[in-house]
Amino acid sequence: MTKGDIFENEFKINKNIYDGFIKLFNDKNPLHTDEVFAQNKGFKSIVMHGNILGGFLSYFIGECLPTKNVIIHSQEIKYTKPVYINELLSFKAEIIGIYKSVNAVEFKFCFEDNESNTIAKGKIQIGIIQ
Amino acid sequence: MKNNEKILEIIKKVNDIFKDVLENDELSVIYETTASDVDEWDSLSHILLVVAIEKYFQIEFTAKEMQNFKNVGEMCEGIILKTK
Repeated sequence: MTKGDIFENEFKINKNIYDGFIKLFNDKNPLHTDEVFAQNKGFKSIVMHGNILGGFLSYFIGECLPTKNVIIHSQEIKYTKPVYINELLSFKAEIIGIYKSVNAVEFKFCFEDNESNTIAKGKIQIGIIQ
Repeated sequence: MKNNEKILEIIKKVNDIFKDVLENDELSVIYETTASDVDEWDSLSHILLVVAIEKYFQIEFTAKEMQNFKNVGEMCEGIILKTK
């Protein structure tokens, strides 16, 4: 992995993921489960849990890099637009820093909807386990 | 070397980075400070500290250089050498 490397993927929050997240973490806030409530708050439908994107980030770090010897040190994510069920998301991550002294790699990433609007972005720092 | 103005200036900035990364506004590191003196300075926060320091000063240490630093002051001397 070198600075400037770019990784791309596509994700979709389908019903299985949505139901599974609620079953696992029990967040049934009406914004995520009540169509009328969500629409009354100005959203077009129920809004997917932002932390589901954290699951996609976990998959990216754990499964999509050239090495499996990885551990997440830190991550930050900012949500800029809501995500709805079955929306196709484009994911792009770029290596912005390599810190050989401590075997760490830093990425910036963003998720975009199918109209190229950024829906979330942030940074992740990982360690390469020796 | 320990008391020169440049070292003190670097230690002050490094202290700000320590406060930020370790989320401890009361923290005050000095030349002789080591990881055993700071509760929050564990193996993971060490990595976060080194990354934050390398980013701020726009330098790169090697793993060997990091291992050889015995305390904060020696690391700050390393920063001075790298930023000359």
